[in-house]
Amino acid sequence: MKRLALAVDDALTMRKLVAFTLRSAGFDVLEAQDGVAALEVLRTNAVDLIITDVNMPRMDGITFTREARQTPHGRGIPILVLTTESDAEKKNLARAAGATAWIVKPFQQPQLLALVGRVIPGSVPTPA
Amino acid sequence: MNQDLQQQFVRDMLTESYDGLDRYDRAILLLERQAADTETLNDIFRVVHTLKGTAGCLGFHRIEKLAHAGENLLDALRNGLLAPTPAIASGLLRLSDGLRTLLQTIEATTTDAGAADHTALIADLHDLRLNPAGPAASSPPAHEPLPAADPTPAVSDLASAAAPVDPAAETSALSDGESATWGLFDPLPDAAPAIAAHAAATAPTPSAAAARVSPAPAAPSPTTPAVGETSGRNSALAASSVRVDVALLDRLMNLVGELVLSRNQLVQLAQTRHLRPEAVTEISQRLNLVTTELQEGVMKTRMQPIGNIWGKFPRIVRDIAHELGKQVRLQTVGNETELDRTIIESIRDPLTHIIRNAIDHGIESPEKRSAAGKTAEGQLLMRAYHEGGQVNIEIIDDGAGLNLARIRQKAVEKKLMSAEEAARLSDREATNIVFLPGFSTAEQITNVSGRGVGMDVVKTNIEKIGGSVDIQSAFGQGTTIKIKIPLTLAIVPALIVRAGGDRFAIPQVSLLELVRLEGAAATAALEKVYDTPVFRLRGHLLPLIFLHRELKLPGPTQLDAVNIVVLQADQRTFGLVVDDICDTEEIVVKPLGKHLKSLPMFAGATIMGDGRVALILDALGLAQHSRVVSEAHERARTSAVSDDGSSQSAHLTQLLLFSLPGRARLALPLDQAARLEEIAPKSIETSGAREAVQYRGQIMPLLRLGRYLPGAEDPAATGESLQVIVYQHAGLSIGLVVGHIHDIIAQELAIQPGSAAPGLVGSAVIQGHITDLVDIPAILQSAGLSFAHAA
Repeated sequence: MKRLALAVDDALTMRKLVAFTLRSAGFDVLEAQDGVAALEVLRTNAVDLIITDVNMPRMDGITFTREARQTPHGRGIPILVLTTESDAEKKNLARAAGATAWIVKPFQQPQLLALVGRVIPGSVPTPA
Repeated sequence: MNQDLQQQFVRDMLTESYDGLDRYDRAILLLERQAADTETLNDIFRVVHTLKGTAGCLGFHRIEKLAHAGENLLDALRNGLLAPTPAIASGLLRLSDGLRTLLQTIEATTTDAGAADHTALIADLHDLRLNPAGPAASSPPAHEPLPAADPTPAVSDLASAAAPVDPAAETSALSDGESATWGLFDPLPDAAPAIAAHAAATAPTPSAAAARVSPAPAAPSPTTPAVGETSGRNSALAASSVRVDVALLDRLMNLVGELVLSRNQLVQLAQTRHLRPEAVTEISQRLNLVTTELQEGVMKTRMQPIGNIWGKFPRIVRDIAHELGKQVRLQTVGNETELDRTIIESIRDPLTHIIRNAIDHGIESPEKRSAAGKTAEGQLLMRAYHEGGQVNIEIIDDGAGLNLARIRQKAVEKKLMSAEEAARLSDREATNIVFLPGFSTAEQITNVSGRGVGMDVVKTNIEKIGGSVDIQSAFGQGTTIKIKIPLTLAIVPALIVRAGGDRFAIPQVSLLELVRLEGAAATAALEKVYDTPVFRLRGHLLPLIFLHRELKLPGPTQLDAVNIVVLQADQRTFGLVVDDICDTEEIVVKPLGKHLKSLPMFAGATIMGDGRVALILDALGLAQHSRVVSEAHERARTSAVSDDGSSQSAHLTQLLLFSLPGRARLALPLDQAARLEEIAPKSIETSGAREAVQYRGQIMPLLRLGRYLPGAEDPAATGESLQVIVYQHAGLSIGLVVGHIHDIIAQELAIQPGSAAPGLVGSAVIQGHITDLVDIPAILQSAGLSFAHAA
């Protein structure tokens, strides 16, 4: 069975890029445009992985991570946070909120997949 | 990621970023006024932040670098570390110009390698963060290329563009892996070596190479032609894609399904041997319904709110006002007004031009405004609304208004007309001089306007899409420019008429009313003024054009009726005489071929239900071709109207003029007269002591007015007939016997009561003569016929 991921970003292009990268690695991907929408998705879907942006309207990625950890579906899964390289502070906040890993935006697709492969071993096919 | 997908992502990024930057510009203008709240600042921070991230992922490193510099500055602003200053606002606007230029370069060439790298701007943005007031006067934007000129330096950059942007550094960053670009918060004990190996292994795969836009193969060929194309602020991208509501799309799909069903039924029906007529009716009704709904639906997908282009105007207004040292506040009303997207595109430039004009020529400098007792800040209002199947757009300024004397003088100086001609012009005509080619009133040719492209181009462009432009101006108080444009150009409701055996379509927008004259009325009603055939329509002279004469077609064989189509063109009305008026239809407009474009009378052609072609008439073109809308007729009309004693004032009273022997000019309000009758004296009977006639099955008492008005006499009973005005009140009729009934006129009543005699309300000057107004209720009272008893 395919694994299910949730991509959270208010920027449509970035969200699609993340979703595309995950789909190319065999995931099914749900999308949400901010933390509020993502929590709604999470309420009814048991996902295997969340990748979220930090800076979003309505509810940012840090708050979303914290809230998601309180939900049945968000408790035990990896949550990856997309940050910008300068944001050491954000990284710490994300860690405190319960994020599993971080990746710098802009990212290269192999980097993202490598990280996903790390947090869910065997989920990403090893390149030949 | 393959090439198609990459391009799809790039297109998405461009659309998203252009939208974002428009929002960004508006927010910076708020910032400049110190009116931006935290939410706005967060929003524009996200715009730049997102652009940086997306561009980076897609390999556009110049955008990433520039956005990064802006992001730092915006971050400091939104966190309150910096207070906004004019220098910061200017810097941030230059940032959006720079980003737009880069995006446009990407749109045209698929890479940003050929674009300017904006080193100076990046340095300035960095400086602003440390020194918010800006380097005092040392850094006007002059050393930064203007946005429009930006792609030019790109040519010199071509050499460097050929070389990929530091790909080696990128790749090595990738294999550096965890520490620099990603990591786990709680690394597993055996993580590090495995990840490094994994990352290194992924790097050389084809997908990794394609994920970065590799500029080397793409750059050389497309860059060169693109340089010119990117110069505009407006992107072609906006025109090539459109967003449609999903619900609407579903509805359309549904309708197409219905259409297919109907088609199937029709096909089946065509194969049926014995055709039931009802079946054909049914299917045609169904097709009719589906087609109409489909048409409406598809039209809706093409509709866009006018706010889409208005969004750019605050920035334009700000830039022009700054350049000219003026203060202008722009207000927009009706942003949600929708119109066809092709029309939206074609009014963008005319509107921009009008706005430039309004600020440059209309709105005065703050000192002049204060001296004139106005606020230092000029007001500019843009308003859009739907009215009668058209969209009206008004651009209203409270500036100096048009100086008609100066315009006349200038027109003579520019040899557009002689001094006598200029002096003869009516104010309305003088106003319209600004639409003449080669006319510009600016005392000084400024950088902003007066570069040879004038209001004539605006007018031509608006008229090209079937619209019209009108200027109203009050000297010293401001100018209003009103543009009327059709909602769409593709399908228009039209009236089908016939002349000389051919059918013609007249778009409903120019149609006012239809008049049909039959029999004797037809020949009697047509008059001539200054050799022009005219028709007196409710007191106004309507110049007439005979369509068959205009188009040199054979005239109608017998003239038993005259059909007049009353049309409006350029604010004037005229009548078009046609042989026959058929029906109204929605027609699909097909443009005429190039060789027929020069015929002003035709706006296009359409195909009728029976498959034959009908030409579409252009009301304005027809009027100009037959010279019916020149000012001479306008004057003729106006003077004829004043001869009539009527004008189009709101306070008109309609009066019935009549006379009695001894009293030549009497009048009573027309609304008191139910009808006018002639009765034979021998039909008068007496009922009690009173004269009466049988009228519509009732007994109508007669009242000889002459006996109740001083100085008047009863008309002699000549034995032929008596003129009777039937006065009606509370269901009862009374016949007023008068001498002669002359006319019905409408005019503003100024009654002077001083001279009132018994039975008269007073007198007024009507058609240049003193006329007495009869007080019918008072006379009835004195005659003992008061309705007070009857009621």
